[in-house]
Amino acid sequence: MFHYTIRRLIFTIPTLLFISFVIFFILDTAPNDPTGNLPLTIPPEVRVKIRASLGLDQPMFIRYLLWCQQFFINEPLNMIEQWFDITIGDGTRLRVTSWSTRSPVVDLVVERLPQTLWVVGMSYVVGILIAIPIGVISAYKQYSWFDQLGTFFSMLGFSVPTFFTGLLMIVIFSVHLRWFPSIYDTTHKVTDWSSFVFQVKQMIMPVMVLAFFNAAQLSRFMRASMLDNLQQDYVRTARAKGLKERVVVLTHVLRNSLIPVVTVIALGVPQVFGGAIITEQIFKVNGLGQLLIIGIQGADIPLVQTLTFIFAVLIVLFNLIADIIYGLLDPRIRYD
Amino acid sequence: MLDTAAPLVKVKNLKMHFPIYRGILSRRAGEVKAVDGISFEIMQGETLGLVGESGCGKTTVGRALLRLYDITEGTIEVNGHDISTIEGEELRALRPEMQMIFQDPQASLNPRMTVGSIISEPLDEHTKLSKVEKRAKVGELMDAVGLARHFADRYPHEFSGGQRQRIGIARALALNPKFIVCDEPIAALDVSIQAQVVNLLEDLQEQFGLTYLFISHDLSMIRHLATRVAVMYLGKIVEIAPRDALYEAPLHPYTEALLSAVPHPDPSQESTRERIILKGDVPSPSNPPQGCNFCTRCPKVIDICRSVEPELQNYGDGHFAACHLLE
Amino acid sequence: MKIPNLILAAAGASLLATTAFGAAHEARGRDGNVNIIYWQAASIMNPYLSGGTKDVDASSMVIEPLAHYDENGNMVTTLVDEIPTVANGGVSADLTSITWKLSEGLLWSDGTPVTANDVVFTANYCMDPSGGCQQLAKFSDVTNVEALDDRTVKITFGSAKPFPYGPFVGSTTPVLQAAQFAGCSGAAAPTCTAANFKPIGTGPFVVSEFRANDTITLTANPNYRDATKPAFATLTFKGGGDAASAARAVLETGEFDYAWNLQIAPEILAQMEAKGMGTVLSGFGPLVERLMINLTDPSASLGDTRSTVANPHPFMTDIAVRQALSMAIDRPLLVEVGYGKAGKVTCNVLPSPAIYDSPNNAGCEIQDIAGANAMLDAAGWAMGSDGVRAKDGVRLSILYQTSTNAVRQDFQALIKQWWGEIGIETELKNIDAAVFFGGDQSSPDTFQKIFADLEMYANNFDGTDPEAYMGSWKCSEIPSPENAWLGSNMPRHCNADYDALVAEMAGTADISKRAELAIAMNDILMQNYIIIPLVHRGNVSASANTLAGVKLNAWDSELWNIADWSRK
Ligand SMILES: Nc1ncnc2c1ncn2[C@@H]1O[C@H](COP(=O)(O)OP(=O)(O)OP(=O)(O)O)[C@@H](O)[C@H]1O
Ligand code: SF4
Ligand SMILES: [Mg+2]
Repeated sequence: MFHYTIRRLIFTIPTLLFISFVIFFILDTAPNDPTGNLPLTIPPEVRVKIRASLGLDQPMFIRYLLWCQQFFINEPLNMIEQWFDITIGDGTRLRVTSWSTRSPVVDLVVERLPQTLWVVGMSYVVGILIAIPIGVISAYKQYSWFDQLGTFFSMLGFSVPTFFTGLLMIVIFSVHLRWFPSIYDTTHKVTDWSSFVFQVKQMIMPVMVLAFFNAAQLSRFMRASMLDNLQQDYVRTARAKGLKERVVVLTHVLRNSLIPVVTVIALGVPQVFGGAIITEQIFKVNGLGQLLIIGIQGADIPLVQTLTFIFAVLIVLFNLIADIIYGLLDPRIRYD
Repeated sequence: MLDTAAPLVKVKNLKMHFPIYRGILSRRAGEVKAVDGISFEIMQGETLGLVGESGCGKTTVGRALLRLYDITEGTIEVNGHDISTIEGEELRALRPEMQMIFQDPQASLNPRMTVGSIISEPLDEHTKLSKVEKRAKVGELMDAVGLARHFADRYPHEFSGGQRQRIGIARALALNPKFIVCDEPIAALDVSIQAQVVNLLEDLQEQFGLTYLFISHDLSMIRHLATRVAVMYLGKIVEIAPRDALYEAPLHPYTEALLSAVPHPDPSQESTRERIILKGDVPSPSNPPQGCNFCTRCPKVIDICRSVEPELQNYGDGHFAACHLLE
Repeated sequence: MKIPNLILAAAGASLLATTAFGAAHEARGRDGNVNIIYWQAASIMNPYLSGGTKDVDASSMVIEPLAHYDENGNMVTTLVDEIPTVANGGVSADLTSITWKLSEGLLWSDGTPVTANDVVFTANYCMDPSGGCQQLAKFSDVTNVEALDDRTVKITFGSAKPFPYGPFVGSTTPVLQAAQFAGCSGAAAPTCTAANFKPIGTGPFVVSEFRANDTITLTANPNYRDATKPAFATLTFKGGGDAASAARAVLETGEFDYAWNLQIAPEILAQMEAKGMGTVLSGFGPLVERLMINLTDPSASLGDTRSTVANPHPFMTDIAVRQALSMAIDRPLLVEVGYGKAGKVTCNVLPSPAIYDSPNNAGCEIQDIAGANAMLDAAGWAMGSDGVRAKDGVRLSILYQTSTNAVRQDFQALIKQWWGEIGIETELKNIDAAVFFGGDQSSPDTFQKIFADLEMYANNFDGTDPEAYMGSWKCSEIPSPENAWLGSNMPRHCNADYDALVAEMAGTADISKRAELAIAMNDILMQNYIIIPLVHRGNVSASANTLAGVKLNAWDSELWNIADWSRK
């Protein structure tokens, strides 16, 4: 397993380099202009100068290499400096800098991670916590009213987009009932009980909207996997052994059914980091998803390039993690 | 010996119908009559062979007997306990007495459990043995089925088919059952290994005084193993008789046809063997024919067969059959 | 005697009470927190590095110019006591220099004094050739900026500047603190993240936390020049979401006190306002939604000379066609459909400030389909069997482009229908705004290239002086491959009379004379139907009913007078 992991990691490097180039190439060839969103009162000559000051007058290949140097060398060095509180070289090196904020992209990402992890991550966890019992019970009581209801809700979760459920919740709970804020306060700090309550209140709606969406997919998956396993002979063996029904379902069926589900969950984690763009937008959570959207709208290429690349890294990484988890959980799989 | 033995298992009018669901709303749209009213007894210490074509309901009978299904109708009595309708704890408490060896040794073992824990799990559930005692017991069982003890930490997929079936057997033996349903335990194995497993089962029967319901479609194997034989067709028993009586003088046309396909051990008789080829397909168990189940394919079919169902009747010496021709 | 005493005592007590109350009423920070939402989040607090309205407005709370424009477009002093003019000697008689004198005792928020050096530094900071300063146009023709003494700055221009109020008037060109931004000039500008996010300023607020593209938290500036202001101790400036949710946060849920730029369907805004929690405000600057006629031939077959003056347009050169296009439009309906309170009918491309609004073009608010048809008939454009007019084999078939935007697409659909009624066939095209307004040379879809027969967008100018804006339509401003498609004369309008007026304005300081010239230019464009104005657009914002002091300003940052805001 260890060798396998190392081998896969090594193979990942050229893949990611290739991906980074493809992203750069696509962003560069797509028609966009970082000065496109500026007021028309800024004259074209000034725009040319602005573009030149952003380095856009250089050939693409040079810009790509520059980005590589900034991202693969300067950023890690800077990170090491910050972690260990030391200075390497003269300590000044160009980091990947966003065009719109003129600040290091990695700092922006770090600043936004907390709310994305809290809201989107929490929704993922809640979604899993909802989905697994629903999937298990639906499969165990296949065709029961519970199962039918579960099917109905997951259809709903699948087909109703989050911008609709989000808006609906805002209208009901913020506008009419005034229970929860419609706008997420990213600067809020939890220091005592009442600020904790506020944090819960502002998280409820975005978390639930996303959790509902996540649970819809995952519960179907869980159900299918459970049904698959419930049909298996080893379940009958377990029953024949005279095990308690709870043990049969939870230790035998559930554990085996969870293997593919856990893999799917691991594969979905990069989405958490990617943020749920629409949900973040609706509730103004302003996490990574919104950062990406703003970057795209403002043609902030270093920002979009870096974010997209980080997502690509996460996707590749979690693919590997999913494979490893699968290997760990299922003794039939051996990679070496 | 047979006469003195009391029946360990008594089955009366057992029916197992599976519902069929159809459509978006998954409405109940009929049922598969996998087992449709069968009755038989198994004596203490004997091996009852159950034969029949694929899909006739043999496995279903075996599973229903052990109450792995909630049966549709009928009564089942094992070792003096009526288990036809009991549930939950009550049923669980009786589980140790009756066990099953499954058709597919691979699928019937939980892939994520080691052999040791597969065998010892029933001990956790039904005994109060200490860890050490359990380990010792697992070791004994593995010895008994001819598996090296150090295999206990391996997973099922690391074994061959024959070894897996031995694991299945060891597992079934763990709780000292009286009655074991062997559902084609050798069907998935190589011919060379089949004999080993069969011999093992025979040895164990002797050693532990087991009673078997041995399901198979291999008539030669049944002839070798069974004391009595029941023949099933489309959810019903059409003939049941002591082994020799059945093999020497089958009464039912279906049994005749089955036997005609089996090479006879006696070469003189083998030369005169005439194969009876059955025409047509087995009807669907969800929509069995009227009258005699076999009437659509029976070479000797007469008019009455298509309307009146023949009863299983005793034709002497415990030889039962259900056919209008015999009446 | 008792009674008068009593009255006196009571009067005294009440006097005491009012003064006590008055003192409390006037303390800085008395009103706690105020919440502002800009659905486009601010990225940076330095307008020299980002000219986006959101960034300019956000930074206007912290850093200030020497003078502002008020809600009526009048110049008001900020860091100076007097606006320099020729009359008071602040502007030289030859119009080539302006001298500003800072008010006495001004302090930066860090407590250090504001000096003329800061102003000089800021000018050089923006004029650094490698800095990519986005407000460079404000400093055009500036040749020298020098500090005459600690409080006096002299800005010299290379030519006569009848309107020398480009640099340091209005929130787009605030004064930066030299000490903080030293070392941030030129290519180093983007590396000064801390300074760009938390500039030290003279404004009523100081940034305490800056989350780029998200939320800015500000606190009252302890060194603000008016000890009684601002009324709010803290300010939260939230960004993100969309216009509708920003409107909802002020008008329906009351979570926020002020929401900027609410370009949403007028009837929805009206419904929200009806809840009674807040008020929708509108302010009209010079922003006009207009059609730009392409006087040159955009046919793809022309290759490199496409949409250049080398090839006159086959039919747009006929004034009858252009006038008919204008006559067929129902402007009041467009206003109602697209903008509601945020729009007005205009027949001028320069409708404000009021002194520049030409009185000579009234009447365009009346749609006249019959008149347009008659005009085309008279000009020889005969109706064809397919309902499209033609003359000498040239069919009146138009490609009409604009940016992708719900209101613009509604307008396109309506206008296409009206033009259909006068026998003009219209093909519609919409282009992503970032591409349309973006200067990407490789894209054929920029508004400068105008590879279409006409295009629609809105434009305005910064501040109150229309000289540069009206100069957009002189011959030398025509975009072409030779000048890399730079320039803002989209119609490719070239008229010697017009250019003469532009030149004359450049040498005229007298404001009423300047107004006459601007009106004359506007009239040339209008009466030749080079530009067809549609809607005079305003800014729409919403303010909570508990908020006092808000004056929506279309000429400067909407938050220009944030120091005067208070809680009712
Ligand atoms: N759970 C179930 N639901 C519905 N139908 C079933 C179910 N189990 C079995 N059947 C049907 O019942 C019939 C009998 O099946 P069973 O498995 O008992 O046959 P079998 O005699 O064991 O066949 P084989 O020799 O192939 O193992 C078949 O038609 C099968 O399709
Ligand atoms: S009853 Fe009739 S059909 Fe059935 S087996 Fe006997 S002869 Fe054949
Ligand atoms: Mg079977």
